[in-house]
Amino acid sequence: MDKTIIVDHLVKNFEITKREKGLISGISTLFSPQKKIVRALKGISFSIEQGELVGFIGPNGAGKTTTLKILSGLLFPTEGFTQVMGFDPWERNPEFLKQISLVMGQKNQLWWDLPAIETFELNKAIYEIPEKKYKDSLQELVSLLEVENLLNIQVRRLSLGQRMRLELVASLLHQPKVMFLDEPTIGLDIIAQKKIRDFMSDFNRKNGATILLTSHNMDDVSQLAKRVIVIDKGQILFDGKIAELVNSFAKNKMIKIYFSKEIDIKKLESIGKIKKIDMPEVTLSVPRETSTLAAAELLQNYPIADLNIEEEPIEDVIRRVFKGELKAKK
Amino acid sequence: MKKYLSVFKISFQQEFAYRVNFIMWRIRNVLQLFLVFFLWDTVFSGQDKVIFGYDKARILTYVFGLLIIRAFVLSARAVDVAGEVANGDLSNYLIKPVSYFKYWLTRDLSSKALNLIFAAFETAVLFIILKPPFFIQTNIISLTGFFVSTALAMFIYFTILFISSAIPFWIPEVAWGAQFLTTAIFIEFLSGAVFPLDILPQVFQNILNLTPFPYMIFFPLEVYLGKIAGLDLLKGVVISFIWAIILWIGMNSLWKKGLKVYQSQGR
Repeated sequence: MDKTIIVDHLVKNFEITKREKGLISGISTLFSPQKKIVRALKGISFSIEQGELVGFIGPNGAGKTTTLKILSGLLFPTEGFTQVMGFDPWERNPEFLKQISLVMGQKNQLWWDLPAIETFELNKAIYEIPEKKYKDSLQELVSLLEVENLLNIQVRRLSLGQRMRLELVASLLHQPKVMFLDEPTIGLDIIAQKKIRDFMSDFNRKNGATILLTSHNMDDVSQLAKRVIVIDKGQILFDGKIAELVNSFAKNKMIKIYFSKEIDIKKLESIGKIKKIDMPEVTLSVPRETSTLAAAELLQNYPIADLNIEEEPIEDVIRRVFKGELKAKK
Repeated sequence: MKKYLSVFKISFQQEFAYRVNFIMWRIRNVLQLFLVFFLWDTVFSGQDKVIFGYDKARILTYVFGLLIIRAFVLSARAVDVAGEVANGDLSNYLIKPVSYFKYWLTRDLSSKALNLIFAAFETAVLFIILKPPFFIQTNIISLTGFFVSTALAMFIYFTILFISSAIPFWIPEVAWGAQFLTTAIFIEFLSGAVFPLDILPQVFQNILNLTPFPYMIFFPLEVYLGKIAGLDLLKGVVISFIWAIILWIGMNSLWKKGLKVYQSQGR
């Protein structure tokens, strides 16, 4: 298989000036700045094959955006090796730039005072897109993202959701082979989020584009990505199928019980944490290792009609990823 | 370079996006012209006065020329570059197959072209109303020298702007301050945009003539007025050409270093 993206022992350090609050210390930093090295990436390695859609998840400040910026040639890596489609991103070879796209949910490229179509025309020239390809590409993107009626309206008059979809059109007109999406659904309402999600999954399937996506939106990750890379404090904690994420990180299992008679629910607390009560159904959360023991104990001591042991929902695991609660397994 | 033609086009449209603003700006320009005209017309009224080697026609032409050259040389869209470096908007261009420098140069030229069209129109109107005793240069060498030195002036200003715009790579919070220092202090005073430089003591002038500043405003104007000609003209053009090259090289190496420490902030 073709490795589209290769990252090997990538390190990125930032030098920042420390600031303290207050006017006096503000002035003193002006004359004797306190430099501090922030280690944003501590030697991460991974590779992505052509056509994969990979979710890059982790808490704020984990290094996700930094990685995307290095891969798109914006940042100079401190150490390590990166390669995208055979190019060194940092060289910013025009042939490389013509085949990638970086979409940042909070940065815009559309010309604020002009209708979006003007920016599209500009991008057509910048990316040297042939007339026919441009027309087809525009037609396709515009209908997929349902923005036909917005093309000739001054960008400043559009809502955030409308603008974001037009931003996507602008970023994808040149039909990139590799896409880096940084929080593409941030700040959007649920309907707009869904439109963008559906679109990305379509785009990935139809064009065989390789997509690396970061998001804090649970649905973005669980519905789009088959593979996830979990990163925290500049290190990779997990890299694999999203289904395996649960196996690796779920600390608890859920026991769903249907009681045949009324029981004293308080007593159940000695066995596990009560997650949900909807008599006669009760859901308990118990540590993974002792789940079978707990089930046996329940069956022995309580009037039970049915009992199921289930995995912790994937959403719960991902939520813990966002909070930075996961620790690397030995 | 079809790319940059498109940049030129969209930039032109952008200028018209705020129509009222644009009209007000042009009105201000015309009023300024009137004001300056009447001021100097009064100062030189009556006799055939000559002050600092300028007669009425020449000082009026200097002042008008100043307004026009300023509008070309010192008006640059690229003043926004420092802000883009500081707030990370630069990233938008770095990920595209486009040269950031050429992009802004094109936007500048587009803005200047617009300026030229309107300034020509306004000056024509002014001419009809006031019938001022302008000094019209007819010498072909002086005119050529004028155009060459104006083009060099624009390039020099542009590179100086790009050099000062690179400071936020290292100190993002000085975006505005860096611009102010270079444009307002150095360039305004040392280029002849406030007063003709030949009223300064000769020693100062000699030193100043080795810096790039006088070549941005004063030199092209004096060439037009015919006060600098022959060998001095050649010398000036050569010096500003050398500066253009030095600044161009300096700018490139500075930006190369700057991009390495660029943090692409604002997410």
